[in-house]
Amino acid sequence: MNISSQQLNIWIKDHLFDAIPMGIAVIDKDFNLVIANQSFEKMFGAWKNRKCYSVYKSRDSICPSCNGSASFEDGVSRVSQEVGFNKNGRMTRYIKHTIPVIQEDGIIPFLVEMTTDITEIEQVRREHQLLFDQVPCSISIIDRDMRVVKCNKRMQELFGNIEGQLCYEVMNERRDMCAECPAKKTFDDGKMHSGHAIVTKKDGKTAHFLVRTVPLSFDGEYLDQVMEMSVDVTQTLKLEQELKIAHSFMEIMIDASMDGIIALDQARNVRIFNKAARAIFNVPEHHRVTKNELNDMIPEEFTEKVSSEITHVSLPETTIKTLDGQSRPVRLIGTNLRVDNNFMGIAFSIQDLRELKRLEKEKLESERLAAVGQTVAGLAHGVKNLISGLEGGMYMLNSGMSKSNIERVQEGMEMLVRNIGRISLFVKEFLTFSKGRKIRVKMSEPELVADDVVSLYAENAKNVNIELTHTSDNDIAPAPMDYEGMHECLTNLVGNAIDACRFSDKDSGRHVWVRTFEKNRAIVYEVEDDGCGMDYEVKKKVFTNFFTTKGLGGTGLGLLTTQKIVQEHGGSITMQSEEGKGTIFRISLPRNRLPILIENNEQSKTDESIP
Amino acid sequence: MYKSILIIDDEPDICKYLMAALEDNGFTGTSISDHQLFMSKIQSVQPDLIILDIMMPGRSGISLYKDLRNNSAYNDVAVIFMSGMSPENDFSPEGIRNFLQDESIPLSEGFLEKPVQIPELIQMINTILSKESL
Repeated sequence: MNISSQQLNIWIKDHLFDAIPMGIAVIDKDFNLVIANQSFEKMFGAWKNRKCYSVYKSRDSICPSCNGSASFEDGVSRVSQEVGFNKNGRMTRYIKHTIPVIQEDGIIPFLVEMTTDITEIEQVRREHQLLFDQVPCSISIIDRDMRVVKCNKRMQELFGNIEGQLCYEVMNERRDMCAECPAKKTFDDGKMHSGHAIVTKKDGKTAHFLVRTVPLSFDGEYLDQVMEMSVDVTQTLKLEQELKIAHSFMEIMIDASMDGIIALDQARNVRIFNKAARAIFNVPEHHRVTKNELNDMIPEEFTEKVSSEITHVSLPETTIKTLDGQSRPVRLIGTNLRVDNNFMGIAFSIQDLRELKRLEKEKLESERLAAVGQTVAGLAHGVKNLISGLEGGMYMLNSGMSKSNIERVQEGMEMLVRNIGRISLFVKEFLTFSKGRKIRVKMSEPELVADDVVSLYAENAKNVNIELTHTSDNDIAPAPMDYEGMHECLTNLVGNAIDACRFSDKDSGRHVWVRTFEKNRAIVYEVEDDGCGMDYEVKKKVFTNFFTTKGLGGTGLGLLTTQKIVQEHGGSITMQSEEGKGTIFRISLPRNRLPILIENNEQSKTDESIP
Repeated sequence: MYKSILIIDDEPDICKYLMAALEDNGFTGTSISDHQLFMSKIQSVQPDLIILDIMMPGRSGISLYKDLRNNSAYNDVAVIFMSGMSPENDFSPEGIRNFLQDESIPLSEGFLEKPVQIPELIQMINTILSKESL
């Protein structure tokens, strides 16, 4: 034995006992601590003259289930996991090896107890277990036979207790391995793999799992377990699917929309330009419309206006330019797209008005024809009066001659002449009406038409002691209308109103009020009088069959002509009248139905196509 | 004694014509073209029959007829409505009933469409007056 090994032996004898990082204590049959090393003292504190149960567990009496007693009895070593209290009174977990010291005669005078503090390890182990069980995915550990070695709580909740079973049997309801098995791939190459699986849960419902497999442990080169982590993506997939459907629904809807739809993003780049918009703006199918192109097609001021407004900006009738520079009548609505008050972009809705205009024109035409039909019926009334006049004249003439009554003959002649005169007037007016005149649209100031008519009648009204006035809103914007046509309408209405005053019982304090104003985007002309008014049967006739109550003074065509012109302006005419009180005629011309003012060259084109 | 007929039409030509024809057929004819004189003329003329035009400015014949029928002194005077309207344009017993808007008022004794045929008028007047005298 050389010196160094001697020294080693001395070190082992003198120091090893205290150097071992594990508590060692020796107890005798009466549970007294006989000797203990430093590590033990570090753990449990003072031990001299104390019983083991007092030191380990702060008890006053022997533990109910005492390993030491058993080992004294049978001489067998024991390992146990215990919980006691350390020198500071804190709970401590430790593993205790109890080794009996057996004499040659078989007597066991002492036990050696070796204690390892596992409080920390246990803490970590518990944390791991918690993590393993509570992590929001299902985890299982699978061996090379594809048997489930271990699985976390979540996995158990979904599939029940499947430890020891074949994974493909319990999760996939298969008799053999899945074709695409990420776990097998990991076993094959020792790398991580991902996959997608449709599994059947213990409640019989299927679910979509996203699976990731990780090599769990190596034993040298030998890989024997794989950890499989799965996330249930059924709900996500479902949402994704729903989102997809919703998205394609929107896309189809936008594409199928009869109205043109254009959407710009925050930077004003064109993001949506649907089929209808392509048709309206003459944009070829695969052409991507740029910012600048759009600015040429839709007035830039409009886009600016939309982005500065909170709600919609609507132009009921405006003109856009197509990509190839043609003008087109459209209804344009711009919407500022905002989410929680954040500007997201701009959407335009564009309605092609060409077809609508054509239909409106056709409708006006058929309304006009219907009106002509009504006139013909109403005409009979006028013609009959004329015939009566002629027949009367003839009768007077004939009977006067046979009776040699010169006075009667003369009267008969006068009647004939008068009624022939009426017939020519009637025929002339009727021809004017039935031929119609082409409507000549120009930008006009609505109140000026009324001003003109009122000044035309001013003298006339004054002569018969009727007060004729015109009031108008100042801010009525110019509108496309047939100035002369509207002039004729108001002439008829004001003329009628003056006549109504003349026919009334009153001979003073008679008024005709003409008013021009705008209400609900419609230009309104009102002609009110406090003249004779109309009784029920006259009122009923006014718009159904045109007739005159003015005898020699009227042809019954005035109101019909008025109605026709108003209809040509897309407007309507209504009337309120009370016998003896007066009458109000009201012409209402909604701006969005007014004829479109088209430049001269296009006007002639339209005229050709729509006679 | 001559039966007295009152004609109300806003067209003086028709008044003259009918008056001449009535006188030629043995009636006394009076006419007015202004509805405002209606009741006073009835009082002064005390007509046996009234020929009443419907469409007149200011007030229609229907409205005058209602006044007449609501006046106990003259509510039994026979009336012939005369109009340039045709049955298609409501000049029919149903149409007039509709215009009257009052079920309690009886319809007129006759309806005469313009242009007036004198023999038809005379026959209608005679029929109505002979019924009245029964």
